[in-house]
Amino acid sequence: MKKTAFIFVLATLLSACTKDLTSLNNDPKNPLEVTSASLFTQGQRQMCNVLTSSNVNINVFRLIEQQWQETTYTDESNYDFVTRQIPDEFWREFYALSLVNLERAKKVVPTDVTDPKVQKNDIAIADILEVYDYYYLLTTYGNIPYSQALDINNVFPKFDDAKTVYNDLLARLDADIAALDPSVGSYENGADVFYNGDVVSWQKFANTFKLKMGITIADSDPTKAQTVITSAVAGPGGLFTSNEDNATFKYVASPPNTNPVWVDLVQSGRQDFVAATTVLSYMHADTTSTGAQDPLRDPRLPYYFTTNSDGYYFGGDVGESASPFNAYSKPSGPALDKSSIGKVTNADFPALMLDYAETEFNLAEAAARGWIGGSAATHYNNGILASMDYWGVAQADATAYTLLPNVLYTGGALPVQLQQIALQKYLALYNRGVDAWIETRRLDYPVLTPGPDANSDFPVRFTYPINEQNINEDNYNQASTAIGGDDLTTKLFFDVN
Amino acid sequence: MKKFLLFYLCLLVCCATQAIAQNRTVTGTVTAKEDGLPIPGVSVRVKGTTTGAPTDVNGKFSLDAASDATLVFSFIGYTTLEVPVSGRSNIQVSLTASTSQLGEVIVTGALGITRTRNQQSYAAQEVTGEEVNKTRGVNFVDGLQGKVAGLEIRQNNSLGASTNVVLRGYKSIYGNNQALFVIDGVPIDNAMNNAKDLTNSKDQSVGGGGYDYGSPVSDINPDDIENVTVLKGAGATALYGSRGSNGVILITTKKAHKGLGIVVNSSIKVSEVDKSTFPKYQHEYGAGYGQFYSDDSGYFFNFDVNGDGTPDLVTPTTEDASFGAKFDPNLLVYQWDAFDVTSPNYLKATPWVAAKHDPVTFFRKPVSTNQSIIITNGGDNGSFKLGYTKNIENGIIPNSQINKNAFDLGATYNVTPKLTVGGSINFYNTATVGRSGTGYDGTNSDARNVMTNFREWWETNVDIQDLKAAYDRTGKNTTWNYADPEGKNFGAIFWNNPYWVVDHNYESDTRNRYLGNVNVNYKPTTWLNITGRTSLDTYSALREERYDLTSIGVPYYTRGNVLYSETNYDLLANVDKDLSPDFNFKALLGGNIRRDYSSLITATTNGGLALPGLYALTNTKNSLNPPEESQTLRQVNGIFAGTTLTWRKMLTLDATIRRDQSSTLPAANNTYYYPSVSGGFVFSELLKNYTWLSYGKLRASWASVGADAPPLSIQDTYVVNPAINGVAQSAVAHTRNNPDLKPELTHSSEVGLELSFFHNRLGLDATYYNTNTFNEILPVNVSTSTGYDYRYLNAGSVRNRGIELSLTGTPLVTNDFTWRTTVNFTRARSKVTSLFKDANGQEAKNLVLGTFQNGETLNAPLGEAFSIIRGTDYVYDDKGNKVVGSNGQYLVSATSNNDIGNTNPSWTGSINNNFTYKNFNLSFLIDVREGGDVFSSDMAYGLATGLYPETSYINDLGNPVRNTIANGGGFIRPGVTATGEPNTKRVSAVDYSAFGYYRLPMKAFVYDASYVKLREAVIGYTLPQGALGKLGPIKEVTFQLIGTNLWIIHKNMPYSDPEDNVSAGNLQGIQAGAYPTTRSFSFNLKLRF
Repeated sequence: MKKTAFIFVLATLLSACTKDLTSLNNDPKNPLEVTSASLFTQGQRQMCNVLTSSNVNINVFRLIEQQWQETTYTDESNYDFVTRQIPDEFWREFYALSLVNLERAKKVVPTDVTDPKVQKNDIAIADILEVYDYYYLLTTYGNIPYSQALDINNVFPKFDDAKTVYNDLLARLDADIAALDPSVGSYENGADVFYNGDVVSWQKFANTFKLKMGITIADSDPTKAQTVITSAVAGPGGLFTSNEDNATFKYVASPPNTNPVWVDLVQSGRQDFVAATTVLSYMHADTTSTGAQDPLRDPRLPYYFTTNSDGYYFGGDVGESASPFNAYSKPSGPALDKSSIGKVTNADFPALMLDYAETEFNLAEAAARGWIGGSAATHYNNGILASMDYWGVAQADATAYTLLPNVLYTGGALPVQLQQIALQKYLALYNRGVDAWIETRRLDYPVLTPGPDANSDFPVRFTYPINEQNINEDNYNQASTAIGGDDLTTKLFFDVN
Repeated sequence: MKKFLLFYLCLLVCCATQAIAQNRTVTGTVTAKEDGLPIPGVSVRVKGTTTGAPTDVNGKFSLDAASDATLVFSFIGYTTLEVPVSGRSNIQVSLTASTSQLGEVIVTGALGITRTRNQQSYAAQEVTGEEVNKTRGVNFVDGLQGKVAGLEIRQNNSLGASTNVVLRGYKSIYGNNQALFVIDGVPIDNAMNNAKDLTNSKDQSVGGGGYDYGSPVSDINPDDIENVTVLKGAGATALYGSRGSNGVILITTKKAHKGLGIVVNSSIKVSEVDKSTFPKYQHEYGAGYGQFYSDDSGYFFNFDVNGDGTPDLVTPTTEDASFGAKFDPNLLVYQWDAFDVTSPNYLKATPWVAAKHDPVTFFRKPVSTNQSIIITNGGDNGSFKLGYTKNIENGIIPNSQINKNAFDLGATYNVTPKLTVGGSINFYNTATVGRSGTGYDGTNSDARNVMTNFREWWETNVDIQDLKAAYDRTGKNTTWNYADPEGKNFGAIFWNNPYWVVDHNYESDTRNRYLGNVNVNYKPTTWLNITGRTSLDTYSALREERYDLTSIGVPYYTRGNVLYSETNYDLLANVDKDLSPDFNFKALLGGNIRRDYSSLITATTNGGLALPGLYALTNTKNSLNPPEESQTLRQVNGIFAGTTLTWRKMLTLDATIRRDQSSTLPAANNTYYYPSVSGGFVFSELLKNYTWLSYGKLRASWASVGADAPPLSIQDTYVVNPAINGVAQSAVAHTRNNPDLKPELTHSSEVGLELSFFHNRLGLDATYYNTNTFNEILPVNVSTSTGYDYRYLNAGSVRNRGIELSLTGTPLVTNDFTWRTTVNFTRARSKVTSLFKDANGQEAKNLVLGTFQNGETLNAPLGEAFSIIRGTDYVYDDKGNKVVGSNGQYLVSATSNNDIGNTNPSWTGSINNNFTYKNFNLSFLIDVREGGDVFSSDMAYGLATGLYPETSYINDLGNPVRNTIANGGGFIRPGVTATGEPNTKRVSAVDYSAFGYYRLPMKAFVYDASYVKLREAVIGYTLPQGALGKLGPIKEVTFQLIGTNLWIIHKNMPYSDPEDNVSAGNLQGIQAGAYPTTRSFSFNLKLRF
């Protein structure tokens, strides 16, 4: 009896000892390998999410740009971004949600795509999106980790000079454009949500984005800007020529892959955001006491905003509380106001990542500066018409708008022309706060005055993430010094005036 | 219940039978020879049996013994005396003091191996089961609070929350710091694997909203505990392997003595809120954020309610703050209840006054009960134990309850005199409803923690009892916080009715746990003992979280199924032999295999619920997303050996070695060793002439302990996300694993001194320890520009040093009166001594442990203490004055990496006093913590929203501070201007920017967490022996009145308990949505048969 017992215990001990221990540590529920296409889709979607989101912890640029204002909690409208660690999250979404997956997709492509030509296209397209991601990081923070970024073996990445990185991005974009081969396809079966792997569309996207990058440095490095712009215009496949070419991300109507604005404004049930007086005044939203509308009114108004409970457009003053909610106009869409004909708050409203209207405005500016041929006025009008078309305004109304005295392109001195372009671009970039913010900083128009109780002057960059301050301190300090201080009011490389 | 009574009755009959079989009663008194005073607590036993009784406070005893029996009198510090009864019925005994006896006390050590105190060479502190279970709470660990030097117990004040049990400080920066619990040799992990939020990505343990599912150790049945021994240092615990590195709490359950023994406990408890840990509200101003709404005053919404065509004043219901209009009983306002058709105030304007009932009346005074019975019997053939405890604990929050059933069954059987087999099975069934949501939980979708509402976002004009009445009337989520009363949207905008929350948005969970072992003990000779044991600890739990339709945000139902098991196989051989009269040799050799399995599957509805009140996955609004699954396995194979050599009961040398091989480390690095060596010198053996010195021992030990990695941290996998339009999405995981991890190492050393004087009337145990942990395995928080949030690394070293003092004394003993006191004192310091280096040799300067709601972080900076709070600070001039800008507002640092608080106390201590007068007993425990900081998210928001009296006072000009500056209001922030002149610029306090987070750095909300607490007090009365005679078989009747958390004598933290924390785990020193402390009074009746 006792012997049996001991033998039993001993046998149990020994048998357990002989097992291959390490194999017990395999994860049975998560894959060791995935397809490059699934990583690409993830990287693409995250990029669209961060730039489209209106989450007050991630993307507050509609507030900075005075397209929207806050109802009750006005902290962000008054430039308190640190309490919610918004710079941390915005930064993280690019690096750790989008870029890391695009970079990994590029690494996996050679192992799971057989045709070497398709491989080349896949890698080039993922790289174009990386350039796109970095563009927003650079224009938000200034110097950023780049040459040492996305390398887990270097957990203290140094911050690279923004201008140097910018030029490197342009070089990468050129290389990508050269690598694209329209004779074969790319990410198929829906993995590429923008263009379903159509390489010609990607050529256009790359050229169009290159044009945008050129315009961004028009003031800071005009020589380079001109070179970039002329080469973009002449690029293989050409530029966007209609809204058909727009880069859009098609969200779906039910969670989780919905438009993040719907999540924040509709699904959450919150009432945080209303129209800002600034954008409404530029759209001439006024209604007189007789009910007559301002003849200069922008026909995009009902596509941008709802009317308030009294049936007219009413916005929140910058930085001030705007309560009760129903007294104000809200972002458009039947979800917040049944009668609204706009779609901004629809769950499946596509994200707009690069479009024809801004392209025409970029061309208008290039023409006004004399860097390309053609008429600035034509491009300007095309830009307005494209925006109207995108939002759903009837062509006749759109054309009529271009002829209004405050809209009609006047020509004249370059600064005057740039102001006209800047204002229309500002209006066209509604719902794309990040892009609008780049343009208002660069063109200094329209002038966006901070609220009376703001915590700082108008912000021209984000401060660096708290996380970088705490765990990458030396490099953070160097970067802070290099850019002239880690403040909201430190001007960045492209913003020279 | 009826059945239970019947059961009692049966037992009574059994006992009566038992009693008849006994012999005559022998009584007597035991005194001390040197002073003739009676000695209480002397053990009097009938030789050769387990029959016995202690002497009472008067030194008197009474027991039944045969007329030819021999009585054995023994007491610590006195020579044991045997006295034959010789037919007498009254025996007077006097005992002689002995200086050596204290060293012969049997103590329990690692692996449950007993030895004498002389042979023990490391720090250990024992607490009796009675002491632990004094408070009769649901979690026995709380009963250890303040009773052991160096033991820190912290928890969130919510019902059933996890308990943090840490010995000698935090050694592991991210990893598990919890002491290991071992019940009769079976290890019970208290790792914080339970504090996971099922629905939110932000972990509940870093202050995000969610539920705290409690600690696994709370299942242990307090009534089954005989005693608890706390082994603090690695020297004592190296044999347990890596899990012993945080100290071990050994629990010995009740053992059967010879003959039948029955103990019944029955207690009833009433609890209430300690109001000093709840907000006091200002009563001058009501709803609003400032003066910017639609009426003329700017304080109210303004629209026609009563249909008379003129606009009326309406409370700004959307505004969850109290920076609105000054209260004025003559001002009539349409408040939230004016829009509730069922309310008597429907369409009525009511006076604008402060609420009669503030949210403290939300809490109830629940009654809880605890019944237990334990039956033991022992004989020559073996022993048997059966226990049952039923504990119903009701929380102070409505609809919160823990219902616990614990069954303990144990038996041993002596197959032969040399071979014993035994087994035990404990079954714990715990059903909980309504654990409170913890952390900051409000602004987004969930609002499960009503305290976020009460402490941070509230309108002082809202009477909570009116909300209760509204909920009772309608059964609906009728809230004060209407989204849009003018637009007839009476849904909640930010806050649900709290009574709706606890009734509709609640969690429930059930856990069935089996804990058992089978063991064989073979003693071939007197000096050799071989034990084999297989033990299993397994539980399955179902956790359900609900969030009903009409609540703000996205309704959901979430269920998680958890399965956990730990299996241990042990084989142990023990030698204990006196090689000569002077020389004792002990040795042990053993092996252990441990296997942990855990799996979790969680599914949640997608995008809302379809029907109200149906909490099922089928009730999802959109088609269900795939559930999330995780599964881990871990196996550790260990072999160990040890020896103890004792010479003349004076010198002891102890050495052990253990080798572990773990599945969680890379094959090349998965084996590691734990040596330990310790020595003791009982110098009092050489000083026997000094009779005032009862006992004196010096001890020293050194040990090295290794630890493995968490499972699944060496190999990278991808995360699969829900497909978009059928297109697969997968992502690189946010944590980068590391195939080169090495085991973590802890070196610890300690020296200790044990002294006892004046026949043990005074005792001192002092320990100094120094612990260094190297190669800590951490998921290091990295720059997200690497593409990752964390990376597993062998990343740092932490040093912990400290002093533990324990002083015991009996200051007063008279015939009827005894006063005993125990003082514990702990001073601990931690320091991060090194951090990891990257490939270029650059060393990390800081590790971020956690990032919280307001941008504050907890950190482990190189060269500083573990757990430093960082955030924005004031800007100071050269002289340390706060600098104020030209607008009169403080300048706030642009950076958020300033040290603004240290969460470590400078010392902690406790005094436990016990007074006995005749049959009465009074004891109380005072607990002290000096220093250490806590950051309060509650104050950062609550001051901003104008809830507290600090936001409504008479200013230096004699006017209400909230008056406009033109009307003499406002205040001057103390500080200097940029040029160093004292600030004279008055700032306005008319809106929410004045006092809270909005204009102030995070530093402004760091508070001193010191406290002095009367933690528990007990008054007991034991029926005298004489009265017992009439009660037949009942041998003991004790009544106790117990008070817990009676009084916070002193604290500096306003409106909350400085001990409260967001959750258990390593992240301590942050309060968000803190629950008030529960004070309770219990009445307990104990019967021993």
